[in-house]
Amino acid sequence: VLGPVFTDAASLVAAALSAGAVAGLLAVERKGALQLMLSRPLVLAPLLGLVLGDAHGGLLLGVPLELLTLGGVSLGASLPDNETTLAACMTAMVVPAGLRLGSGVDEALAALGLLLLAPMGAVGRALERFAEERNVALVDRALARLQAGDPTGPRLNLRGMLLPFAITGALTAACVLASPLLAALVRACPARLSAGLEMGWHLVWALSAAAAVRAIRDHRAPALSALAAAAVAGALAIARALP
Amino acid sequence: MSVVAAISAPTVERRLRAWTLCRVFVRSLFLQASWNPRGMQDLGFADALGPALAELYPDPAERARAAARHLEFFNCHPYAAAAIVGGAARLEEQVAAGKATGEDVSTFKRALGPPFAALGDGFFWLALRPATALAAAMAVPFLGLRALLVFLALYNAVHLTARVWLFWTGYTQGEGIIASVSHAQVPRGTWLLKAAGAVLAGALAARSVLAASLPGRPWHGLLTAVAVVGFALALPRLGLLLAVYLALLVGIALGASIL
Repeated sequence: VLGPVFTDAASLVAAALSAGAVAGLLAVERKGALQLMLSRPLVLAPLLGLVLGDAHGGLLLGVPLELLTLGGVSLGASLPDNETTLAACMTAMVVPAGLRLGSGVDEALAALGLLLLAPMGAVGRALERFAEERNVALVDRALARLQAGDPTGPRLNLRGMLLPFAITGALTAACVLASPLLAALVRACPARLSAGLEMGWHLVWALSAAAAVRAIRDHRAPALSALAAAAVAGALAIARALP
Repeated sequence: MSVVAAISAPTVERRLRAWTLCRVFVRSLFLQASWNPRGMQDLGFADALGPALAELYPDPAERARAAARHLEFFNCHPYAAAAIVGGAARLEEQVAAGKATGEDVSTFKRALGPPFAALGDGFFWLALRPATALAAAMAVPFLGLRALLVFLALYNAVHLTARVWLFWTGYTQGEGIIASVSHAQVPRGTWLLKAAGAVLAGALAARSVLAASLPGRPWHGLLTAVAVVGFALALPRLGLLLAVYLALLVGIALGASIL
């Protein structure tokens, strides 16, 4: 069941604010708090979809995005592309556009959304680095307080979550506000281009499966994956051939 | 005094209350709230120990000096760090009782940080998360949105149990945590999870191929199979962003019959 179509400016702004708030909270959860994996695309996209009125549409985006970014790991000071920013922006723009079109999230719409927003993972990483560099000032302030004899200095720790919240929230809200443009682009697509975008989404799924295989960092993993793929393909082919 | 001796020294005075330990644990869940490239988890660590220091040092100035000691470089896997937070709380009891020094606490943190970081990265980020996410992705066609709950339940059942256990074992055993973790068979569990993840990833790839092989367009399945193998081989060289655009553009060209 699809939710409301954001036809008037007030409902679109309200949706942008609520989606921004939810995405901001989930972005904080990604690194700063808890890390229960609520910020992973697989969870975030359906949750944000639910807020925007189409949880199933969010799920259609969340699964391939999850697989694509499964291998990105923050080790030490290294930062992978920010999968939360990517998933939040994709969901925030594609789901309301699908509602406006009346079709929900389909393959052509998802492919066009990814075509426009794929760099948001790298943008999110750059903004994350910016926020972390700003945290150095928080440590200095905490130390100054402690040196002045105030033991509450380390409580400034929690303020480090404000910037990730604000950045992701603002980007997400902006994407909701821009969603009518995506809907207009899809409407303007000729049938051949729509068929091409549909095929493009199939190949993104193929890339997602490949990325999932690469995400398992073990030299025996490719062989195991190949064996499993052969076994599943064989079993399903036999099942299809049976009367 | 050595760190081991400091931790194992028999003392009954100034033990932290259970409620204080609970508060330290909860604050350790925010260890990376102000992660920064200079001291990494320094501020988060000092904040996590706040309730323990408040109980051990009633004098605010003395407490501030103790907290300032923890604004030193510290980096570990955020879950595995629970063991070090617990161990540091135990050592702070010793420091407050005059049986260990602040340097003993620093040595403990420096000694255990890197090995626990490697252990946590390998198990949680590179094995548990891929395996549980892939299990949920495989379950989506059957469970729909409930597959999310599968992912969150599987992942967090292990994650939260491990985090609580590490914190408590770190607090009760100090450096003995190393022996306890070595008995926990973490490398074996890591390998099993990676194997499960690899099998699930292969099954997912096969399902993608078969889903694309609809009647009337058999070459879609063949194309998808070639794409899966090709991308799996080329992904490290292409990088994800370029690979995404390549997939989309080739798809558009083929689907729109440009090629």
